[in-house]
Amino acid sequence: MTDTATGTWQPRIIAFLCNWCSYAGADLAGVSRLQYPPNIRVIRVPCSGRVNPLLILKALREGADGVLVAGCHPGDCHYVSGNYAARRKFAVLKRLLEYVGLESGRVTFAWVSASEGGRFAELVTDVTEKVRQLGPASRLVASHE
Amino acid sequence: MRKYARIERDALPSHLDAWIERYGVFAPMMRDGVRRFGVLSAGSDAQPGPWLTKVPVKEMFLPQTECLYRYRRGTNGGLEIETPQDPARLRLIFGVRPCDARALTLLDHVFRSTDRPDPYYCARRESTILVGIGCSEPRSVCFCTSVGGSPFGEEGLDVLLVETGGDYVAKALTLKGEALIAEMPEAAPEDTETLIAEARRHAEASMGDAVLTAGLKERLDSGFDAPLWDRIHEPCIGCGVCAFLCPTCHCFDLAHEADTRSVAGDAGRCVRGWDTCMFSLFTRQASGVNPRPSGKERMRQRLMHKFRYFVENYGEAACVGCGRCIANCPTACDIRETIARIDDAAEADSHAQET
Amino acid sequence: MNDRSEEIRRVAKRLLAEGKADVVIGFRDSRLPLRATPHFARTPAEADQLVWGLGCTSNLAKYLLDREECVAVVAKGCDVRAIVATVKENQVNRDRVTIIGVPCAGVVSWQKLEAVLNGRDLTEAIQDGDTLVLRGREFEQRVAISDLLQDACRTCTVHEPVVCDVRIASSAPAGGRTDEFADIREFEALSPDERWEWFRREFSRCIRCYACRNACPACYCEQCFVDSTNPEWIGKGNDLTDTLIFHIVRAFHSAGRCVDCGACERACPMGIDLRRLTRKVQKDVKELFGADAGVDPDSPPALAVFRPDDPEDFTW
Repeated sequence: MTDTATGTWQPRIIAFLCNWCSYAGADLAGVSRLQYPPNIRVIRVPCSGRVNPLLILKALREGADGVLVAGCHPGDCHYVSGNYAARRKFAVLKRLLEYVGLESGRVTFAWVSASEGGRFAELVTDVTEKVRQLGPASRLVASHE
Repeated sequence: MRKYARIERDALPSHLDAWIERYGVFAPMMRDGVRRFGVLSAGSDAQPGPWLTKVPVKEMFLPQTECLYRYRRGTNGGLEIETPQDPARLRLIFGVRPCDARALTLLDHVFRSTDRPDPYYCARRESTILVGIGCSEPRSVCFCTSVGGSPFGEEGLDVLLVETGGDYVAKALTLKGEALIAEMPEAAPEDTETLIAEARRHAEASMGDAVLTAGLKERLDSGFDAPLWDRIHEPCIGCGVCAFLCPTCHCFDLAHEADTRSVAGDAGRCVRGWDTCMFSLFTRQASGVNPRPSGKERMRQRLMHKFRYFVENYGEAACVGCGRCIANCPTACDIRETIARIDDAAEADSHAQET
Repeated sequence: MNDRSEEIRRVAKRLLAEGKADVVIGFRDSRLPLRATPHFARTPAEADQLVWGLGCTSNLAKYLLDREECVAVVAKGCDVRAIVATVKENQVNRDRVTIIGVPCAGVVSWQKLEAVLNGRDLTEAIQDGDTLVLRGREFEQRVAISDLLQDACRTCTVHEPVVCDVRIASSAPAGGRTDEFADIREFEALSPDERWEWFRREFSRCIRCYACRNACPACYCEQCFVDSTNPEWIGKGNDLTDTLIFHIVRAFHSAGRCVDCGACERACPMGIDLRRLTRKVQKDVKELFGADAGVDPDSPPALAVFRPDDPEDFTW
């Protein structure tokens, strides 16, 4: 899955999906047999607000080519305000990561509701394509030397 | 073989070039605004001067991070362990100060002259030649003479270079050193020794007030519970600057890091890195208990280790008076002053007992 | 000794005598020119050692954390902002702190001094108006104080402390309304590759001493994330990725809390330009949420609150 030399490299994208909205949206996409690239590895969290920036950086450190965090639309959070807190955190984090030189498109934040199966498929297709174009992650990856 | 040689200033680059042919040569150089040992690719790049590197030569023997071994689950289910291959090439480190070289002889007590020598440290020690330059202009933070050293000290060096009117004289201190200077123009032994002795006398005389280290061990022996310790640590913020930039500090941490690219943690490495008793978690145990819970205990520990325990174990204090801790401490803590206060406290104590 | 040192000593002795403070935290001279060391005065004799000058660089707000005693602290504008910020986070009890505010025109960066000296040994430094006369064994050099000032001081907007209980009389320059983030904007205009190269190079000399973290009044976690072993977020060695993540996360953790006192940058023995990272976060917090840490004692920390209409143009 990762061999660039033989042209068989496939992006590996870690997707943090909130249980109540975006994970359910992903479920709906599946049940509706909507096609989307198989490159995301889903980690279900109770709420997008639970996603610690350290989790995102850890994923990058361990070689994730892309990271996706999806939550409920603001105003619809199952826990009322978790995604509001997340929104502020991620606004700052995204700018900071890109400032340091992480390629734009590697880390993506999105709102997807439980009823938006189509939107979820579209999101993953878009993110996967963007990451594919960026190539394998090389910045903020541990060297394991 | 000869012990003394002379090097014209203009000839130094070509000698260095000759060494570069045979060894990996390192010398102090500015690297991104910090003076540190780096690879010397041409003799003409060397910049001998009155400076001291920010990071001591210890980092060439005990690096900030090093992989001790890698492990992997073998095909038969057992563990396969692989140690990194040592580079076969010999190293020559040029421009080492006597304090840094002496510090290596102190580190040798811990890593080399023991019944369990450290193979990583020893391999580097044995494959390295150290060419030092005497300090004709000790800095105001230097106090090597107060801790058993000298700006023209010879301990730990293979060759000592001494500046004289723009040129250098070289004194070989070991067989490796003699081999190194064999190609150089000879210098008369007696004249050279006189010259070195004079340079040494001059440099030592120019150093500031001595630090009162006589009897320090005894004062520390009886002063563990002195109220002084409540005050001395107050400005300290508990970072690692003093210990990491100290030529003799050598505490380290070991960590096993799983290689997360492997399946189920089937591979990884063991990494050794610099650690310091000044960090708050240094002695925290798995139970959560920390026998050194505050800055007071930790600063006391550092001083005790350097000037009492190390003396008990090896007969010498673990300090070479380079002054880096003083110059780089974010809060300008001064170990000279700390030692003086220990002395004052002990004196006050003994007066109190007399009266 | 200057007037301000004398007045600080008077104030300190008064506060100690009146029982308003158990300890007065300020500075005293060190043996190094242009460097003062934090001083904890509990008696009149100790109070007589207090000084004020260009070498008073530490952020003394750091020493208010975890302290039971009633404290008086000599604080310049950035220190006061840090106190306001930590009071807001319930780490410091405002009722047990007497702020001795000192209007400040800036302090010297010892890293810049080191660069100017280039290995020469400084034995004396004398202030002569706007100039410093630097003396060593075989040299004397005059340098404009403004050339040695810490970068944080150049864009400071709180030369006059925002709040204090006692004010040490003196004038402070009016903080100009300069574009304090001009250099960040300039850096942002570079390409990602150029920025990455800059960060890779600048932070490769980090020795993970944590002087930056330990000097920062906003860093007060009992266990820092770098010490977490379960999970282990990053290793402790000098692997570049781990080092960069440490600094990125520390900058992120200071979002809405960092007052740009510059203590981190001053503490770094390797002279790393840390503020190029921390001020990016500051700039973004200001632009996104209109927040500036430590200026208004009543406004909450920016990342502790939210608004329904917060910006979300960064989302997909």
